[in-house]
Amino acid sequence: MLKGHLDMIVLAALSAGPAHGYAVIEEIKRRSGQAFDLPEGTIYPALHRLEQAGLLSSRWVTADSGRKRRVYALTKRGSSALVERRAVWEQFSDAIGGLLGGARPWKKPA
Amino acid sequence: MEKAGVISGYLDAIEQRLAFDRSLSRHVRQEIEDHLLEAVASDAGGDSAAAERRAVTRFGSPDMIAAQFVAVSVARQTRKTGVAVILVLAATFAAMKARIAWYVMIQWSLADDLKAIGALVGMIDVYAFWLAVIAGTAGCLCAGFGGTPSAIVPSYLRQTRWFLVLSAAAAGALLVSVTADGILTALRLSARWSVAAVVPLVSMACEIACAGILAFHVRAIARRAAAAAG
Repeated sequence: MLKGHLDMIVLAALSAGPAHGYAVIEEIKRRSGQAFDLPEGTIYPALHRLEQAGLLSSRWVTADSGRKRRVYALTKRGSSALVERRAVWEQFSDAIGGLLGGARPWKKPA
Repeated sequence: MEKAGVISGYLDAIEQRLAFDRSLSRHVRQEIEDHLLEAVASDAGGDSAAAERRAVTRFGSPDMIAAQFVAVSVARQTRKTGVAVILVLAATFAAMKARIAWYVMIQWSLADDLKAIGALVGMIDVYAFWLAVIAGTAGCLCAGFGGTPSAIVPSYLRQTRWFLVLSAAAAGALLVSVTADGILTALRLSARWSVAAVVPLVSMACEIACAGILAFHVRAIARRAAAAAG
């Protein structure tokens, strides 16, 4: 299930500002309370894929350590995609919440 | 010394699996190296060799990570090749039409004794070019150019193979067409040589470059398809 939402997770982690891969992973861990246990390396192909789709941009910088580092940032399209995906997720989450809670049916927004 | 061993061994393994795309493998290596060294630096365990093993384990198997990058590379090259097919066919068509318009403008016709062979080669040229257009268009339609999959799944691999076959057919047919154009141009130039020959020569150079570009892209997608299948 997590795999299907990886793109949204990465976009959400980058909504705080530009970051390199390691920082994206740390942000995901921090904001999810370490809930996601996926191999860290899977973030990198996702970053490349999202860049290819025009949702992220990247640039190489030199870190304090002197190493070359690739920093990713959300593009305008990426920000819009995150808003859309967040809305879809919230609807889905509300619907499942209503289903599992059983008390009152979930009402589809107009 | 183990530090270099664990991390560089891991990086070598990934780089080797992505060797079909030198630029990607170099960038991925740099990016992953930065990650692993930062993970080791942040590890509070004390034992650096153990920290490296932990960093590499948390990162995931090189096979799995490389396979996901292969999917990214295949999608990128498919898009590039698709654009190349369209542009190359359009440019070749424009070069052919420009040359023919030039011949008409300066009233440069084939010598009577060469007309029969000229007609035959011209027919081969036309059929081969339209075959290239049909195969190239079918390849682009087959590829679809949708989003990049997160992994190579059998249906995507099949789609990539079809795209490769059709692009290769387009490139092959274009090569025949350009060769036929070359023969036709040579026939005309053999009968008459003047400064007016610059236009056909330049248009032929454009066609040869176009065929070369398409062949280069087809080779690139073939290498990625082979890596995806492997």
